[in-house]
Amino acid sequence: MHPGIIFFLVILGSILFHIFTPWYWTDVASNWGGMDDTITLTFWIGGGVFIAVCLFMVYCVFKFSYKEGRRAEYKPEDKKLEKILTWATTIGVVALLAPGLVIWNNYVNVPKNAIEVDVMAWQWGWQYRLPGKDGKLGTTQVVNINDNNPFGINTDDPYGKDDVMIQSDVLNLENNKPVKILLRSVDVLHNWYVPQFRAKMDAVPGIVTYYWFEPNKVGEYEVLCVEYCGVGHYAMRGGVIVQSDQDYKNWLEQQETYSDLIAKQQNKEINKKKLAKKIN
Amino acid sequence: MSDPKIEGYVFKPGFSGMAKDTGSDQTMFKGVHWGKAMMWIFLLSDTFIFSCFLISYMKGRGSTLVDWPYPSEVFGLHVFGVDVPLLLIAIMTFVLITSSGTMALAVKYGYEKNRKMCGWLILATAIGGLTFVGMQAFEWSKLIHEGVRPWENPFGAPQFGSFFFMITGFHGTHVSIGVIFLFIYAYKTFAGHYDERKRGWFTTMKGDYVEIEILGLYWHFVDLVWVFIFAFFYLW
Amino acid sequence: MSEEYNDNKTVHAQSSETISGGTSGVAPDIDYVRPAEIPEQDLYHGHSFITKWVFCQDAKVIGVQYFLLATFTGIIGLILSWLMRLQLGFPGAAGFMTAEHYYQFVTMHGMIMVVYFLTALFLGGFGNYLIPLMVGARDMVFPYLNMVSFWMFFIAVLVLLSSFFVPGGPTGAGWTLYPPQTILEGTPGSGAGILLMCLSLILFVAGFTMGGLNYLITVLQARTRGMTLMRMPLTVWGIFTATVLAMLAFPALLVGALMMSLDKVLGTSFFMPTILKAGEVLEYGGGSPILFQHLFWFFGHPEVYIVALPAFGIISDLISVHSRKNIFGYRMMVWAIVGIGGLSFFVWAHHMYVSGMNPWFGFFFATTTLIIAVPTAMKVYNWILTLWRGNIRMNTVMLWCLGFIVTFVNGGITGIFLGNVSVDVPLSDTYFVIAHFHMVMGIAPLMVIMGAVYHWFPLVAGKFLDEKLGKWHFWLTFLGAYSIYFPMHYLGFIGVPRRYFEMYDSPYMTSAVGMNEFISLAAFLVGAAQFILIYNIIRALKVGKPAGHNPWQACSLEWLTPKVPPEHGNWGDRLPVVHRWAYDYSVPGAKEDFITQTTAPSEVVDTGVEKT
Repeated sequence: MHPGIIFFLVILGSILFHIFTPWYWTDVASNWGGMDDTITLTFWIGGGVFIAVCLFMVYCVFKFSYKEGRRAEYKPEDKKLEKILTWATTIGVVALLAPGLVIWNNYVNVPKNAIEVDVMAWQWGWQYRLPGKDGKLGTTQVVNINDNNPFGINTDDPYGKDDVMIQSDVLNLENNKPVKILLRSVDVLHNWYVPQFRAKMDAVPGIVTYYWFEPNKVGEYEVLCVEYCGVGHYAMRGGVIVQSDQDYKNWLEQQETYSDLIAKQQNKEINKKKLAKKIN
Repeated sequence: MSDPKIEGYVFKPGFSGMAKDTGSDQTMFKGVHWGKAMMWIFLLSDTFIFSCFLISYMKGRGSTLVDWPYPSEVFGLHVFGVDVPLLLIAIMTFVLITSSGTMALAVKYGYEKNRKMCGWLILATAIGGLTFVGMQAFEWSKLIHEGVRPWENPFGAPQFGSFFFMITGFHGTHVSIGVIFLFIYAYKTFAGHYDERKRGWFTTMKGDYVEIEILGLYWHFVDLVWVFIFAFFYLW
Repeated sequence: MSEEYNDNKTVHAQSSETISGGTSGVAPDIDYVRPAEIPEQDLYHGHSFITKWVFCQDAKVIGVQYFLLATFTGIIGLILSWLMRLQLGFPGAAGFMTAEHYYQFVTMHGMIMVVYFLTALFLGGFGNYLIPLMVGARDMVFPYLNMVSFWMFFIAVLVLLSSFFVPGGPTGAGWTLYPPQTILEGTPGSGAGILLMCLSLILFVAGFTMGGLNYLITVLQARTRGMTLMRMPLTVWGIFTATVLAMLAFPALLVGALMMSLDKVLGTSFFMPTILKAGEVLEYGGGSPILFQHLFWFFGHPEVYIVALPAFGIISDLISVHSRKNIFGYRMMVWAIVGIGGLSFFVWAHHMYVSGMNPWFGFFFATTTLIIAVPTAMKVYNWILTLWRGNIRMNTVMLWCLGFIVTFVNGGITGIFLGNVSVDVPLSDTYFVIAHFHMVMGIAPLMVIMGAVYHWFPLVAGKFLDEKLGKWHFWLTFLGAYSIYFPMHYLGFIGVPRRYFEMYDSPYMTSAVGMNEFISLAAFLVGAAQFILIYNIIRALKVGKPAGHNPWQACSLEWLTPKVPPEHGNWGDRLPVVHRWAYDYSVPGAKEDFITQTTAPSEVVDTGVEKT
């Protein structure tokens, strides 16, 4: 069998695999459908080039296989052809790059009305903090973290007092409301990623990183850590529940704030003291 | 490999001539000794190492949580009851730059086949380098005595100690290696290995005065790097 | 002592047949080549087993030493990949496999394959063997330094492998070694393992620098008469440019490794911010983890091209020889290699789009990254245009070339996905990335290595490798590797993250179980197929068909040595004199379908030679 046939079958197989594959991306559940569109565009242009180049190669292999006595063409250079190919490639590349940059521009510019969510990562787990009635998150420091202050909120920061603390790896979000994810880590690199939302960013200890998205499908999603963070990396999961307006409000009201926690701690202290007094 | 021959090679004029000369057969750098070309490229690579160090230093200095210490305070010297900022470092820099001068003269006398002068000047350079390393050791021990460690620093940010010891240490290693080679070359010069074109101990290459120039390139480079370290650590 | 050196050969080399011409009155001699600029090289000839085969100063022997040691570490990397695929395809099948082991194998596999296998093989192996032969030098310019370079590499490999036997085992931080996790508890091998890794890398860089200086100066300053830069074979251009990249990129790795070691040993905080671990704040603070990533990728991206550029060069030569046609657009090819090399220093942060660096960098690095696609695409066009109207020998070497084109174009196109910043966001850190870089810098360069082995083995050993075994080797490797990595892209689309020890509990990943098993089976097959080559080599050394002089009818200098395999000093008494480029195949009017580089113009006056 001529080797060209096998190469042809490989190309054909690749195309068929792409068309009939049962493995493809999950339905997008955020505003980043544009990323999918850019991928599709890249598939068309890039895939077209791949098929064209490989089929041309297969054609050459069939047409110009070795024949005794035949001479190959002698033509060291063809400036015109090279120029055409260079410009055609450049145009293709620009066509791919331009939409990519436009979407990236959206990605780095967070809408003003986005709700900030503090995502705190450690080896190996997540917890979340939402701003309270004042709409602002209190500042934090790693050294403040202890049992009484699980998020390390600076106690002298007035914005921190009413922050809503969710000491669970499941976060609830309101449908069709932009969210600004503020990532921080207390130990190593992590990355808070929901495949259906498409967006991701590393959590880096020492700094706060961010990205934003707008969930647009009610449902439950799985959060994966996608930046290698040690032996527990593969098991570092979380969840997101996207809820409608009313459900979200109901949920939010049940959550504990930082001042609730402080009050609870103080009550405990007082009770302890009372108890001690009684015993004495 | 001995003296390169480029007699008969006429350089072509203009930019296209320069391009032609560059791409012409046999050598790109006409008449440049292999070892010399090698040293230049090695130094280019080494430049990238020191650049990485210094850029990391700038980044580290920018991101510390605690304030960076005042260099004039840390590096001050208490002499005869007066605090003189940067005194030691000024002397060190002076010594090192001077040793560059003696090295340049050694190269000159080497090419003039003036064995004695060349040897003495190499020895002078080596002693200059040794003095520099000695003073650096003194400075290190002074700082260590004052409590500066790679991981902590009583004057401010701990990164000050980390970067200071790492970068001056790396540079000091360069100087020390240079000093060792200078002593070896001084011996070889006095023993006449370059005049007799005696083969080296390890490399089995024939001795040649060009080796002194190659070592000189290294030595000047080490001095130049010191100027940058001096500017970034002591003056910033 | 004097017989160990060839002092007495000096006279011959400079009195070649063609020193004349250029004087007034006489018609200019068309065969004129300028007299020698550089004197005959002073070589040390080994005279015992140790100096001939162990501590040898002959670049060809050093090249073979590099090749063998790199292949040995490569086989270790291959076995590690088998173990990883066993775990991924059939979780729990290997009883001893814990998450710690898995991550250690991932790390060592990555580091070994990229640095100790591919880099060492292309630059140390092919570079040492081919550069002096292809530019017409007697040896590398600093043979002693060259020998030390290999033994430094040897020690680096020993140190690397010794980390398997220290308490805690080798580092399991991923080949990118990102701090802080690299040196913290919670990552396997965060003690001795990572220190040995850093030490080994530093030794490798030191050893490589010695070799690299040799390659550069040999190409720049020791070519034979008539060998201008624009007559050099593209193999030399590729290895040369890759070496330049290595000389400028490895410093960043060296600095990163050194600073990381200090963070570990002395407790400095270069890369370590304030860290809370198991309820306690560690004694670190104020460092920047992203600084390491910049240092690492300033090395890491050029590293990709350190592997790719020699592959580009070699494949150009192989395609040209075996389609009996000059490489199409030679000058474009040279400038593309140089351009890609230069640009590769301005794209590093495309590995860091979602690393938390300032996101505004994304615009710059996406643009530079996609610009690199243009010269790379030009190279691909020129390869297939070289096939066009050629006279293609469908032998094993050509099959590897065709396999390279398919896998490289495939991997290059997926690179455009990942380089385009916003497309990278959903795909980064997924299996799409794994599939992409294995296709483009794993399989594609491997195709080139194999093609090069089948092509140059007759020169190195004087015997042909078996064609039939070679074809089996090719088809198993190509079809197997393609069916590993092509479907793997689609795992990435689903969102399967990389570096997961096991992954079947997520709802959308369950559908991938079947594919994972298939990929693992294919990986076992491809790995096993490589042993065909080892058998083929051993067999050929014993009973292979003798190759004789220039068996492929090639034009370039390495086939024109007086003896096959070439002896120390390469050229016998007289250095070759070069009159043309390395690609005069199928020149109209010429007797045969190739004109060697040493053929004088007066011998081919009536032919249609266009380019010299």
